[in-house]
Amino acid sequence: MIEAVKSRSRKRLITLTVNGEEHEIAIRPNAMLVDVVRDQIGLTGTKSGCSSGSCGACTLLIDGRPMLACSTLAVECDGKAIRTVEDLADGERLSPIQEAFLDQGAVQCGFCTPGMLMSVTALIASNPKPSHQEIKKALEGNLCRCTGYNAIFNAVLQATGQDGIKPIMF
Amino acid sequence: MILYDFEHERPGSLQDVAARLAELGPTAGILAGGTDLLPNMRLKIRTPATLVSLGAIAAQPPGTDTDGWLRIDALTRLSEIENSDTVRAACPMFARSAHVVGSNQIRQAGTLGGNLCQEIRCLYLNQEHDFQFVAPCYKRGGDCCYPYPKNEKDFCASVFMSDIAPALIALGSDIELVGANASRRMAVEDFYTGVGMTPTVLRADELVGAVMVPPPPPNSGWGYHKSTIRGGLEFAMVVVAARVALGEDGETCADARIVIGAVSEGPSRARGAESALVGAAPTPEAIAAAASAAVAECRFLPHHNFSVEYLKQNAEVYLRRILSEAFGRAKTGPGKGGQDQ
Ligand SMILES: Cc1cc2nc3c(=O)[nH]c(=O)nc-3n(C[C@H](O)[C@H](O)[C@H](O)COP(=O)(O)OP(=O)(O)OC[C@H]3O[C@@H](n4cnc5c(N)ncnc54)[C@H](O)[C@@H]3O)c2cc1C
Ligand code: SF4
Ligand code: FES
Ligand code: FES
Repeated sequence: MIEAVKSRSRKRLITLTVNGEEHEIAIRPNAMLVDVVRDQIGLTGTKSGCSSGSCGACTLLIDGRPMLACSTLAVECDGKAIRTVEDLADGERLSPIQEAFLDQGAVQCGFCTPGMLMSVTALIASNPKPSHQEIKKALEGNLCRCTGYNAIFNAVLQATGQDGIKPIMF
Repeated sequence: MILYDFEHERPGSLQDVAARLAELGPTAGILAGGTDLLPNMRLKIRTPATLVSLGAIAAQPPGTDTDGWLRIDALTRLSEIENSDTVRAACPMFARSAHVVGSNQIRQAGTLGGNLCQEIRCLYLNQEHDFQFVAPCYKRGGDCCYPYPKNEKDFCASVFMSDIAPALIALGSDIELVGANASRRMAVEDFYTGVGMTPTVLRADELVGAVMVPPPPPNSGWGYHKSTIRGGLEFAMVVVAARVALGEDGETCADARIVIGAVSEGPSRARGAESALVGAAPTPEAIAAAASAAVAECRFLPHHNFSVEYLKQNAEVYLRRILSEAFGRAKTGPGKGGQDQ
């Protein structure tokens, strides 16, 4: 087994453009993007769930791609553009996706919601009218322990102006 | 959870990465998408002192070599492979196998090289060690094995779970390993050792540069299946992959490659079942016999609470189905169901 270095690694400066705003941040190589975004930049919308790539709560967009902030080193993001859930609303006005999530009851505890919204944002950017199957596939990496997913699928259908919304029975 | 402290470098070319690996020796780790390595570093399964990142190197787009083989850069993201028109047209099974890995987020970050070099998995290994266990197992550098207490020293009976490797082997692909001074090329099946402690032949100063897939033989077809419980974001319980070709008569099997993955330390080819099929008409009886022969000759380990009996039965059923599909595609001629992802 290989012993990890005992001495402290050197800090380095990286530049992240987060929601359009440039940040210069000093970090060590072991800093995870999720911790930098939440603790150093102060945007706590992005959630940290499993820390192992399995839940999707930490999903944000890196150069437009939905990625896991818990499994990405911040130093690897030097010079990249990051978009978090805080960027979706325009001031007090929610984005159509966020409105649809509220309308359809797709938010319960809310812990999965930021990650869900970012995955859906990426999906719609490349596929404005996703089928039920495509929605499921795009969200397979976002776990929700509350809604049972159907309300979330309904919200995506509503946000993309499609039929097929199924009533949810409680 | 905070990762332990380590150093990080981003060389600008594969050769420079190989040179740094040679200088640093076994204390270095190669970082690609990090979706396998970083969780494993959190669990202290791997503890490299320096990460040599491939992040500064751009992946070459999929292209065709002068010998007609399709070349896919090892740094290509799985999302690019599943969506590449070139890959989907030339080898739909490869695109399919990338499509079923993990989740969209994992495929956006995960690379082909990282997928093929991913760490083996075991219920003991893939959890926080310090919390429940007194001593590390062989794989963690210790002196015991939890699921198999009777295992000899340094015998690790874990499972290699790449969804892509079995497809590449069924397609007859090669892999290119880049070293500081020389590169070598070998069949993907020879890249895997079937040994849990050292699952691949990759040396500490080498990295995977590319994968090359040959053009399919005439009248060929493919079949692929990944068995899971929930069908999304899940490692496989069994992966089966096959590529078959019919002779000029369109009636007898001229070539067959059958691979079973995710049930032992490395993907295995069922050569006995393959040769029994060649020269025969692919009747339902011949296909059923090949499926059962393949299951009988490959090594199965119980894993993730699936018994060997269950895994074997699952593999046999899906082998029958994918072999029928493969012969069906071989019969329907060019196109061979290329776009039916
Ligand atoms: C929640 C979750 C689900 C997953 N599901 C699946 C699944 O269903 N199927 C599956 O196959 N995998 C799965 N994986 C494993 C892994 O994410 C993928 O296999 C992915 O493709 C790994 O690629 P990467 O670039 O992220 O590798 P990394 O994590 O960067 O690297 C993995 C290993 O390969 C080495 N490596 C990377 N690139 C090279 C190279 N070019 N040459 C030599 N060595 C290299 C690294 O040093 C490391 O040891 C899953 C992972 C997670 C976290
Ligand atoms: S099978 Fe391998 S990884 Fe699992 S406990 Fe035994 S030695 Fe460790
Ligand atoms: S916190 Fe990143 S996937 Fe769960
Ligand atoms: S709303 Fe609670 S986890 Fe999804």
